[in-house]
Formats: sequence, C-alpha cells, structure tokens
Amino acid sequence: MISKLTLRKLVTISAITTLVSLGLMVAGMLFPSPILLVLAMSLGQLFATVSLVLYLLAIALDLQGVGEHEVLADRGGDT
Amino acid sequence: MLPTCPVLPIHSLEQLLKATALVSAAISAAILVWYLVRRPSLSRPTKVLLLFGLGVMPLAVALSGNIAGFEYTLQRQFCASCHVMLPYTEDAADPKSTSLAAIHSRNSSFGHESCYTCHADYELFGAMTTKVNGLKHLYYYVTEYANTGPYGEGGEPIHMYKPFQNGMCTRCHSMTAPSWVAKEEHAGMLEDLQKGDARCVDCHGGASVHPRSFAHGGKGRAPATAAAGQGGQP
Repeated sequence: MISKLTLRKLVTISAITTLVSLGLMVAGMLFPSPILLVLAMSLGQLFATVSLVLYLLAIALDLQGVGEHEVLADRGGDT
Repeated sequence: MLPTCPVLPIHSLEQLLKATALVSAAISAAILVWYLVRRPSLSRPTKVLLLFGLGVMPLAVALSGNIAGFEYTLQRQFCASCHVMLPYTEDAADPKSTSLAAIHSRNSSFGHESCYTCHADYELFGAMTTKVNGLKHLYYYVTEYANTGPYGEGGEPIHMYKPFQNGMCTRCHSMTAPSWVAKEEHAGMLEDLQKGDARCVDCHGGASVHPRSFAHGGKGRAPATAAAGQGGQP
C-alpha cells in the first residue's frame, strides 16, 4: 500500500483519521464517562495530531512539485 | 405561539467550551465529508479549506474539549460514574445526611465540586497530580472493581493514596480564627497540627465524614429511614 501512496491518498488518510479523532473527542464530551474521556484525551488527540502531520507532509510534498496523483515511491527512488 | 428554542442555554464555562468544541467539530466534519464525497482537485482553495478541516478546527475541538473535560472531572457527578464511589457521592448529595461530606456539599463554596474541593492536591502541579491519580483510579476500577456489587460490595475497601492533609481543612477553617482557638481541644493541639504531627481527621474523620463507605464501617447504601441522619456529627 505504501508503495502506491499518492498525495491524494495521503490527504484522504489524513481526513479519515481526523474524522475518527473527532468522533472520539465528541463522544467524550457528549457521554463523559471516565473511559471515554481518557480515550478522547489520548487516542482522539493522537489521531488528530497524526492526521495533521500527514496533511502537512502532503503540503510540503506539494510545494516540492509532487503531482496530486504521482506515486510517492517513484518520486523518492527506492523509498 | 413561538416554538420552544431548541438550543440548550449556556450557564457555565464548561457548557460554553463544549458548545465551541461541538460547533468546531461539526464544521471540521462537514469540510472533511465534503472532501471525501466530492473528491475535488487539490487546488489552493481546497488546500486552505482542508487546513481548517484538518488543523484549525480539530485543534479548537481538542483545546476546548480538553478544558471542558477537565472541568467536568471536577464535578461530583463524574466521581459518581464509578459505582464504588456511590457510598460517598450519594451521601454527599443527600439533603438529610449530617455527615461532614454532606454538610460541606450543601455549602455553595463546595457545591457540585465537593469531592474535588476537599480531595485535590493544592500544591504546585497539584491539579495535574490529582488528575494522574484519577487515571490510577480508572486503572484500579477496570482491573479490580468492575465486577463488584452495585455499591462496590465484595471489593477491597478503597483508601487514599496518602493521608488527608490538614491543609485541605485549614484552607477554610483557619487555625487563628477566634472561634477555632476558643475550642479547648484545638488550643492544646495547635503546635502538633501546624507541624502535621496531628491531623484534623484524627478527631473529625472516619464515619463522621463518609458514614456509608465500607472503609469506614458503612454499608454502602443509605441507612433505613428511622436511622437516617445519624451518620455523624456536624
């Protein structure tokens, strides 16, 4: 999967991860049981951070001229 | 006739923060669902919009949600969400109870945050220490108390991590107040109390504070009607 990763897929993964994190954080607020609050404040924020990092990575690659549908592995050689 | 307003009124900082977080989450989710469904090209406006949906709005949700979460954890209602705390929280909320916990809970300075007000660590980083201990509570709850009775029957009696400090009492009950000094027992113990060699709870603790707790000889539930209110002296 990583070998076929494109800029668009990176943003899509980031968007889905953010939706998951939003779900956890909103659940923690609407149903504030101890376990949900801990999940919201740990996993929820971890997912949100990861998704933002992925998006910033996509922006950085975009600024370097990587095309939207270009396979990142091809661009980076054997990476 | 006008319809009833469907928006809940906001009365506290916690509710305001929750509302902010929910609105931010809704905006963020709308942007992301739009992106995932419509699949627009990554043009500059799309990238700016995604920056809001993936960065700015989730950050607002996390920040306001965190503070709202911490605010909620101060409330007695939150402590009562673990059933082993019911012997404590039900007594504190009982208007007929004369235990120290109930009397303090009826004081508006403690109110719905009475558990936290008396049991938080008020030293430097005290709030964080208290929250870390709260995580330990959750761990023990899941690993040792999850299958105990409705009031925690059958589990080990719960206990505090460290002895109750005099500072929790003397924040309000000054040891220099004339009414405090006038008590003969207090005057003889002043030095020991100040040093911490004697503790307020040595005389005012146990069943008089939390009469229903198993650790203090209680039975978890409220006493029978005839015996109600005999849990302790104010």
